[in-house]
Amino acid sequence: MKVVPIIVKELKEYMFKPGSISWGLVFPLVFSLAFIVRFGDIDHLAPGLVSISALFATTSFVASSLIFERRLKTFERLLLAPISYGEIILAKVLVGALFGLMVSAITLAIVRYFMVYPVWSWPLTLLGILLANLAFSALGVYISLAVENPINVMTWLNVIRLPMMFTSGAIASLTLFPKWFIAIGLITPMTYSVEALRYSLLGYYDVIAPLYSLPLMLFMTLLFMLLSVRSLRRMY
Amino acid sequence: MKAVIEAKNLTKRYGDFTAVNGISFEVKPGEIFGFLGPNGAGKTTTVRMLSTLTSITEGEAYVNGHDVRRERKAVKKTIGVVQDVSNLYDELTVEENLRFLAKLYDAPLENVSRLIKDFNLPAKKKFGKLSSGYKRRTAIVAALIHEPPVLFLDEPTVALDVQSANLVRNMIQLLNKEGKTIFLTTHNMTEAETLPHRIAIINRGKIVAIGKRNELRKLVGKGVKVRFRVEPLSNRFLRFLEPYSPKPDGETLVVMVEDPDTFLEEFWGLKRELGFRVLHLSTELPSIEEVFLQLTDSNEDGERPCACGGCPL
Ligand SMILES: Nc1ncnc2c1ncn2[C@@H]1O[C@H](COP(=O)(O)OP(=O)(O)OP(=O)(O)O)[C@@H](O)[C@H]1O
Ligand SMILES: [Mg+2]
Repeated sequence: MKVVPIIVKELKEYMFKPGSISWGLVFPLVFSLAFIVRFGDIDHLAPGLVSISALFATTSFVASSLIFERRLKTFERLLLAPISYGEIILAKVLVGALFGLMVSAITLAIVRYFMVYPVWSWPLTLLGILLANLAFSALGVYISLAVENPINVMTWLNVIRLPMMFTSGAIASLTLFPKWFIAIGLITPMTYSVEALRYSLLGYYDVIAPLYSLPLMLFMTLLFMLLSVRSLRRMY
Repeated sequence: MKAVIEAKNLTKRYGDFTAVNGISFEVKPGEIFGFLGPNGAGKTTTVRMLSTLTSITEGEAYVNGHDVRRERKAVKKTIGVVQDVSNLYDELTVEENLRFLAKLYDAPLENVSRLIKDFNLPAKKKFGKLSSGYKRRTAIVAALIHEPPVLFLDEPTVALDVQSANLVRNMIQLLNKEGKTIFLTTHNMTEAETLPHRIAIINRGKIVAIGKRNELRKLVGKGVKVRFRVEPLSNRFLRFLEPYSPKPDGETLVVMVEDPDTFLEEFWGLKRELGFRVLHLSTELPSIEEVFLQLTDSNEDGERPCACGGCPL
């Protein structure tokens, strides 16, 4: 398995790139702190803030790495090595998830400090955060490869991520919205992440039970990985 | 001897545009094979097809006996590729870059320290901080990490200063002496005159000439180029020159002669008879640059110079 050396390389090369730091670390933390300052007790916002952190951290990291690598042709180093497209995609998804786990763990620690009630289930919370990071990372890899000109990746990413913050119920409960709005949210992994974490952190959910939301995040991870491999086949 | 690289009717199309148009050639073991062509001729596209980086639209290619279309992994293991940019990771040191690649290729980690020593690379310096000369040398060394028998070098000296370019050329020669077969694309004529054992010239996606240097020289005219300057130029002397169709070049006249002995005997005979002064006299072989210029055109402007060589218009 060549996945481990690729992960180590990615962390050394891209962890401190402006793209990873600004949208991936500073934005989610500042965003979370702003909500904490505004609301004080933030139990009902905790699932949303942790999900938003995971979403922005993973996608920013993988996008930053793939934009650099596609433009500087260092990506072709991986393509020239005797490894499969699947291994390349897996490594990219895993390292994005790893960066996302770090950022969402920081967010969770901060948010937890201001929560009034105790966490409903730690094991489910950790599982939920892990699956969410994997699904978001795979989504980010797919978008970073599907956008034809790498210069436009960050823009497209925001076109997708920012609306996802609202359609997922991260900011306001899904029960407040009409059915068609919820339906839009169901095609993104963000909704499943918010719902799963709502259950694991607070002990209730809005519309999707954890029995569905958790496996669906795994399913979306695999789906976006397959789509990414297909993108590579088309590109090269 | 069995060919190391074999292309049969190799073609690459991007939509309606044909970048490489049915080229066929063989590269023999131990050879430096020069692939010459102007900008946009299809050199990089050919390297990308042969090294599995882009799909082959039509035709076949074999590298080290492996079908490039079907046995990509086997091909990748036996080739080292130096692309037209020095693409390594900026934030990693030279050593970290090489160690990473060694792991990707399952190559022994001893290769890293050996190569760093042999090629005198600054192991602890970040790749992004190196000069372009060192970057290119590191990129070449990176292609050697898994000890491949075949190297593809895509314009390895482009944008380097004279000293760095010479170092890279020496490296290429050294690697070839060690037994590596080298596919070298270039539009640098110094390189074409010195490095390759055989040369293919590609123009607008098609191979227009292929052979040893001396075989290619014959394509611009048979024999030897004689250059001279005499004073005064008499009518009698010009009549003698007429069958050779002399061409002015600066202050000198140039003729192509098949049999320089006979020409020079007559030349000296006339000098004794007419008493003109010889200010310059030299002979030379046609250069690869002349062959190149005659067989190719700039692919950018779309104008093709007249093929007849010297139209009265
Ligand atoms: N991905 C692509 N899509 C469309 N056209 C392409 C693509 N890659 C190359 N081409 C075109 O194919 C032609 C050959 O390009 P190639 O890069 O192989 O030329 P080259 O001989 O390497 O030139 P140079 O000396 O400039 O490196 C060019 O006209 C180029 O514009
Ligand atoms: Mg090129």
